[in-house]
Amino acid sequence: MPYEFEEILETIRMTEIEHFDIRTVTMGISLRDCHDRNIEVTKQKIYEKILRYGGQHVKLAKEVEAQYGISIANKRISVTPISIPFDACSMDEFIEIAKILDLAAEEIGIDYIAGYSALVQKGMTNGERELIKSIPYALSQTKRVCSSVNIGSTKAGINMDAINLMSEAIKLTAELTREKDSIGCAKLVVFANAVEDNPFVAGAFHGVTEPEIVLNVGISGPGVVLEAIKEAGQVDLQQLSEVIKKTIFKITRAGELIGRKVAEKNGIPFGIVDISLAPTPAEGDSIADILKAMGLEDVGAPGTTAALAMLNDSVKKAGLMASSSVGGMSGAFIPVSEDMGMIRAVQAGNLSLEKLEAMTAVCSVGLDMIAVPGDTSAATIAGIIADEAAIGIINDKTTAVRIIPAFGKKVGDMVDYGGLLGKAPVMEVRTISSAGFVGRGGRIPAPMRSLTN
Amino acid sequence: MKFTEDEIRKITFEAINELGDKATPESVKELVRGRVEGLGGDYKFEKGDASSGRVILTSFGLNHPGIVAGVTKALGDAECDIQDLSQKLLGDFFTMIMVIDISSSHKDLKEIQEEMNKVAELMKIKIYLQHEDVFRFMHRI
Repeated sequence: MPYEFEEILETIRMTEIEHFDIRTVTMGISLRDCHDRNIEVTKQKIYEKILRYGGQHVKLAKEVEAQYGISIANKRISVTPISIPFDACSMDEFIEIAKILDLAAEEIGIDYIAGYSALVQKGMTNGERELIKSIPYALSQTKRVCSSVNIGSTKAGINMDAINLMSEAIKLTAELTREKDSIGCAKLVVFANAVEDNPFVAGAFHGVTEPEIVLNVGISGPGVVLEAIKEAGQVDLQQLSEVIKKTIFKITRAGELIGRKVAEKNGIPFGIVDISLAPTPAEGDSIADILKAMGLEDVGAPGTTAALAMLNDSVKKAGLMASSSVGGMSGAFIPVSEDMGMIRAVQAGNLSLEKLEAMTAVCSVGLDMIAVPGDTSAATIAGIIADEAAIGIINDKTTAVRIIPAFGKKVGDMVDYGGLLGKAPVMEVRTISSAGFVGRGGRIPAPMRSLTN
Repeated sequence: MKFTEDEIRKITFEAINELGDKATPESVKELVRGRVEGLGGDYKFEKGDASSGRVILTSFGLNHPGIVAGVTKALGDAECDIQDLSQKLLGDFFTMIMVIDISSSHKDLKEIQEEMNKVAELMKIKIYLQHEDVFRFMHRI
């Protein structure tokens, strides 16, 4: 027998019992050749190109699932940040483009298409301003389009003007999608140090340095890590790190295999494997549960940041050994709404926004899927984004904010989206004002990279 | 001679170019069939690339007479070659793992999986079929 009995059963246990799946195979498509002076021609070009490359994406990914017995949770598409090829467009034209992206996504049978984006860490072009203005309307008039805007980077600093525009856009998006618990905000990410090859929607986009087309894969597998930690029992932290690494190694190898096979079937190049641990609302598929299994009474207890740092670091070490194509975010995601353990910790009063912020300093990717009261002011949201961006640019890492000022809701209420977006309890936000600071506008200069204490 | 999917795709594109405007699905198929068979290959478009190579079959459930017979009979009917077999009993619980080569089968992996699902239902056991690569990638450096 070329494999041990236990090895085969371990794989079966991972895929069948412990929720091991590939979180996403995301096809990145460049739209840089789709511009035309006539918006109708532009739309036609976009639609045709996405269908030409992505038409078989879902079908081929399903074939790979059956072949290897590993399910792929999401098949998605990312495109060039829309503001770049279509910089000459007006707000209304951008909305038209969003609609055509939505239509293309529907036609090829995917749930989300990402890249309705702009990169404005240093400053904004007219087109980028128009795109940001259009975001609330685009997200409320489409179902599948996801948007992201990068407002800061270690090299450029933090663009506070862009943050202020984005916090207004978030508020308006929440209002325009109030019928569905402000779901538009769940499709809108504000980044610092955004990466160009991130396969994880909503923050995915196909960066300008990427090839014509590429296939990136995002692994998952908190459930598998959780079981491995539980099985390890009472061991010290070095041994625990070993346990995590061994598990992640296997997950990453499987992820790369699946990604390469989907790329091969599509006849396109394979890009990267993103080794982020991404939770789902399924019971047991939770980062919070891992932290608890590591010994914390609940997420939010003192020690949470340290435990998360160790988990994240172990994941990276193992992933880098397993694959030479590691990229994207590659960390641990801690979205509140998509993780049952996190939801419970918030409801029990054990986890606050401030503790979450501290946790994002040691893991990707930021304050993710956080619901806050609907009357939270734009200035306060701008302050939250600026804090998160500061953590990102000072530590040279990606951070993001996906915050939902749930229209008409107050602390303790729930927003419920179903599916992978899950549900989130509305969290308390400090009401002392940040308006004077964020209202100054301008740009926080790029940070220095020495004397880093 | 065996062709990979890429090679067949290349031959197909050549055929399409050669036929130009006159190309129809039938005429392309005919031309490609001629080319492939001329090179001594098997013309079997309906088989995906999954049919090549080895597959690991894992089955488990409560032990009762006839499980091995049922599984092997279905594999035999599908012309699969059983290359290795290992089986364990833990109390009443039965586990069997097989390495099978399905490249000689007239069915592809998906069809064999469907056959096995029927057997699994009949025997009240679980059967999984996965391409060998997933185990090689996960457990071998």
